[in-house]
Amino acid sequence: MHHVPSPVLRRLEDEPLAVPDLARRHLDGCGRCQAQSTEIAADAALAARVLASPPEIGDIDLEWILLQDRLSRPDADRRPAVRPSRRVPRRLVNVSVGAGTAVLAGVLAVGGAAAAVLTTVYSPTQVAPVRVSANDLRAIENITGVGRLPSNLQPSGSMRLSFGELSWSTAGRPQQVSSLASASAMTHLAFPTPPTPPSGVGAISSVEVQPLVTVTVRFSQSAGPAVAGSTLEITVGPAIAVQYGGTSGRGNVTTLAIVAARRPVASSTGATASQLETFVLSRPGLPAGLAQEIRLLGNPTSVLPVPVPSGLWELKEQIGGAPALLVTDPNGFASGVIWESGDGIVHGVGGLLDKQDVFNVARQIG
Amino acid sequence: MEASFMTHLRSSPPGAASFSGFERFFREEYPAVVRIAFGVVGDAQAAQDVAQDVFISAFKRFPEPGESDHARAWVRAAAAHTALNAIRGERRRERRQRSAAVEVPAAGPEETVLDAESRTEVRRALSRLPRKAAAVLVLRHNGLSYAEVAEAMNVKVGHVGTMLRRAESALRKELQNAPRT
Repeated sequence: MHHVPSPVLRRLEDEPLAVPDLARRHLDGCGRCQAQSTEIAADAALAARVLASPPEIGDIDLEWILLQDRLSRPDADRRPAVRPSRRVPRRLVNVSVGAGTAVLAGVLAVGGAAAAVLTTVYSPTQVAPVRVSANDLRAIENITGVGRLPSNLQPSGSMRLSFGELSWSTAGRPQQVSSLASASAMTHLAFPTPPTPPSGVGAISSVEVQPLVTVTVRFSQSAGPAVAGSTLEITVGPAIAVQYGGTSGRGNVTTLAIVAARRPVASSTGATASQLETFVLSRPGLPAGLAQEIRLLGNPTSVLPVPVPSGLWELKEQIGGAPALLVTDPNGFASGVIWESGDGIVHGVGGLLDKQDVFNVARQIG
Repeated sequence: MEASFMTHLRSSPPGAASFSGFERFFREEYPAVVRIAFGVVGDAQAAQDVAQDVFISAFKRFPEPGESDHARAWVRAAAAHTALNAIRGERRRERRQRSAAVEVPAAGPEETVLDAESRTEVRRALSRLPRKAAAVLVLRHNGLSYAEVAEAMNVKVGHVGTMLRRAESALRKELQNAPRT
């Protein structure tokens, strides 16, 4: 017979039974075909080596949930904003959930403060991400004066800013309470807990209540003619923060934290929303990138900006029909999700858990 | 606890019932689709993104795929093509970024092939191959039989060997000729 065609020699490598006996017999006695077969086998082996995929395929359950969420949306074709970023700062890997709770509460406060100064009447209904760097956070602290606040904050007080005076008062100090029922009674917040926490999450280890905080900014003449003389009042909270311990063998590590807070609301006695926004965007020291992120928020009166530090991934999802922001570190060591439910409560779930576990907890309580 | 956890996962999303006819298909095909995508993009997160896009499109075509071999072949081919689109976009970006790059003489073939086994080089090589060649390579080397590759690529089974042979030869040459950057 003629020499064996190269496609047949190739198939002989993979599916020898599909190749006619005649071709195989020819190959046995033909040096030219054997040489070609060797070359083909080498190419096939090289391709197999470099193209073989590892068996790791990810979390099918989570992917199915994410797919359903996308299919439920009118813009299902649009990929959610997942932004892989640079290397994760090492300290993020070591962060504890106790600190995570603080960060989450801080996120709510900073988000509330940042958003509130943008509007005269501010009552957000949904969350949205704002990418921030460490530089951006320092700039926010400097501009708002938060960075100069003492760590042992008194229930009420005031401080001077370059553009006016900032004062605050609270309905009491943050305190640990004995039960969720007590926390709900003090704050008038319902606090659903997940019926089936993720594997490795133990019992509730602490319940903390943060009473309502009212922050007032009185703009001085140095703030510029548009906002000078105006007073902006922002209310944040009350809030409940619950921490869960680990199961046996995980010691006293906090594995999961859940926060619920009434949404921040702001009102102004004078300056309009656009004037306040212009004021914020014109602050000396506001990084250009952050300014752009704020502009991209769209309607500032209805959006609660959630600072997302560089190095973390974000995923826009839905919890109970409300827009949610899932933030995770690329290595899957820690994740958090934040959303606002239709009753005006901002919810946060975070922990040293992967995104599937955090997302599932959020779905159970959302 | 595990059973109720899984039950909850499957039942909790709003509107889940309307996707129930698609779920089994998704769960059966997802591993193959992610593997194919990963073979091209070389990154787990990117492969999962590709898989999501593939199944979004698949749902529009086959909302109730049942045991359809056509749907099965379609998602696998779509995984290869979508992933190839992703790395071709990446290649275009790299080209723009490297417009001022300095040319470095190529190393000997053997040494180059060994270096080129890095995932990045493989992705670049794949992105330079003709689309069908790259697709048939990825599909075959992620476990599809000749018949399945033929179904996915809409070609005759007898033609798969020809395509595969040419594609593997082209891949080797691309890897050997890969510029060392």
